[in-house]
Amino acid sequence: MANMIELKDVKKVYRSGGEDTFALAGVDVVIKEAEFVAIMGPSGSGKSTMMHIMGLLDTPTSGTYLLDGTDVSKIGKRRQAYIRNQEIGFVFQQFNLLARTSVLDNLLLPTIYGPVKNPVERAKQLIETIGLTDKIKNKSNQLSGGQIQRVAIARALIMDPKIIMADEPTGNLDTKTSHEIMGLFRKINEEGATIVLITHEREIAEFADRIIRIRDGQIVVTDTGERDRHAEETH
Amino acid sequence: MPKRLISLPKQALRAILTNKGRSFLTVLGIVIGIASVIALVSLGNGVQASITKRISTLGSSNVTVIPGGGFGPGYRTQQGGQGSSGQGDRGSDGGGMEHPGSGGPVGGGVSSLTFDDLKSLQTGKHPQIKAVTGGVTGSVILKKDGQDRRYSVSGTSASYFSINNLTTEKGSLFKEADENAKSRSVVLGNDMASDLYGSKNPVGRTIAIGNEAFEVTGVLKKVEESGFSNPNAQSFIPNTTASDTFGSKNLSSITVQAKSDKDVDAVKADVKKVILANHKITDAKLADFSVTSARDMLSIMDQVTGILTSFLAGIAAISLVVGGIGIMNIMLVSVTERTREIGLRKAVGARTFDIVSQFLVEAVILTLLGGLIGMALGAFIARTAANMIGFSAVITANAVLLAVGVSSAVGLVFGLYPAVKASRLNPIDALRYE
Repeated sequence: MANMIELKDVKKVYRSGGEDTFALAGVDVVIKEAEFVAIMGPSGSGKSTMMHIMGLLDTPTSGTYLLDGTDVSKIGKRRQAYIRNQEIGFVFQQFNLLARTSVLDNLLLPTIYGPVKNPVERAKQLIETIGLTDKIKNKSNQLSGGQIQRVAIARALIMDPKIIMADEPTGNLDTKTSHEIMGLFRKINEEGATIVLITHEREIAEFADRIIRIRDGQIVVTDTGERDRHAEETH
Repeated sequence: MPKRLISLPKQALRAILTNKGRSFLTVLGIVIGIASVIALVSLGNGVQASITKRISTLGSSNVTVIPGGGFGPGYRTQQGGQGSSGQGDRGSDGGGMEHPGSGGPVGGGVSSLTFDDLKSLQTGKHPQIKAVTGGVTGSVILKKDGQDRRYSVSGTSASYFSINNLTTEKGSLFKEADENAKSRSVVLGNDMASDLYGSKNPVGRTIAIGNEAFEVTGVLKKVEESGFSNPNAQSFIPNTTASDTFGSKNLSSITVQAKSDKDVDAVKADVKKVILANHKITDAKLADFSVTSARDMLSIMDQVTGILTSFLAGIAAISLVVGGIGIMNIMLVSVTERTREIGLRKAVGARTFDIVSQFLVEAVILTLLGGLIGMALGAFIARTAANMIGFSAVITANAVLLAVGVSSAVGLVFGLYPAVKASRLNPIDALRYE
């Protein structure tokens, strides 16, 4: 399989009061097409920063990022917006949906900004997949946490992207709902999408093919879920 | 058209309806601004129209000659008497106004216009002149409901009535023969007649003007007041008689009616030439009289009311600017409140342009909405106020276009800054915003 995401010595530095803080202190990561990768680490470790750079929401201070073989530093802002629209689907921990807007309209949000075939039919199909057909006209503030995250996942899928990026998608959910959501991600992955999942819960990370551990802006270990668990135990 | 443009108004309307309270307050600022502009401009136009109408009742083909270098009699301190003839009784008139309650005759202001001037304009040498009248003004004190009241008495030529479209309700007007005979007949204005006699017929009765008894020969039909005189509250006697009664050999004004409107300028020049010759003045700048036409007055008044209207509109425009700043404030608050929404939109592929246009369209829709409501409210206020004052407001297409244009411009100008501010947010900063 080809490399979908390739970070080479990527650094992200925040400068405040003359002091440099490294959110990412030079990371090298390769994620292959159709891989399901979990990025684990404590809060402040730089895992979200890494995902934002991967998702073209943020730019690295130095280093190279190849997305699907293309150096993104050579892509203009408009093109980056287009790639976010067409190739990447995001699921965030919070504030995923437009307030007081219906499930259907939330799903259709990305279709305003880029082309997709039969957006409304596709949205209805996705809503059926996540089991919310009876709530299609409900406003986002009338949904439970699990329902909101399911709608967010459906929205991430509407443009049929190659990559799904999820930042703590189960952060606010109970165990049963979390497992349902992770099952949904597995299914999406089996259908061919590359998934990058950020979490600090080991239980959730184990749904992935591989876990990348990050601490203080550096990759600690990157390996399969089994190996990773072993490493955790010997710490 | 791309979908991102088609969906803009829908997105904007949704955002506006999602925050009904805030949208209402935003629109209110613009409503007040536009309503005051429309109301004041319409009232201003109404005043202008009503003044124009009143002045045109003076007769648009009339040319008036008054003594003195400028408007109004009696201000000839420098030019007084220069080259004029028959000024011997100057000391006796003018002061007459200062004897209230005397009931005696009151002369008009010091005047350089003479009966000779009147005659030389009457001679028929001037084909563009239709009629000429000369007036001697004075006043009389009569009792109304047991109280003394001063009424103005105009000594006029018989042609005065036809020049000013005055006709009788009862009795008859005096004729040219009465002028020549210096007959003591008086024609009463409608209000004056009812003041003095109530519902009784005044024709045939006598009233005392000066030391003479005058017979009432007619009562005028009620007419609309013009800007400068009110025939309803006056009485009219032959100017020859008035000259004797008020001891004034001169005329306080001469009115010349041109054959048609387009002859007015020629008649003005002609009249000036004739009177200058009569008064033996060679330098027109030293003229001891002035010649104006109703149209001159009209253009002066138009100018004055036009300035007034623009002035009022300018004041109202300030409230529009205040309304615009209100829009900017609310939109800035809205940008801050919706930072995460902006981040989310950017994450799913919105470009800078998409965000700018979204917020701009929102601002423009809000102000246009305010503009439309304000226009209706302004028209309503103008109509109501005009009805109460007693004239009609004039709502012009210009005022409406101005309101719509200004309100959308306000939306664009004051919406631009918040919109650009929103669009410049880094997607990740926007998403992280708390």
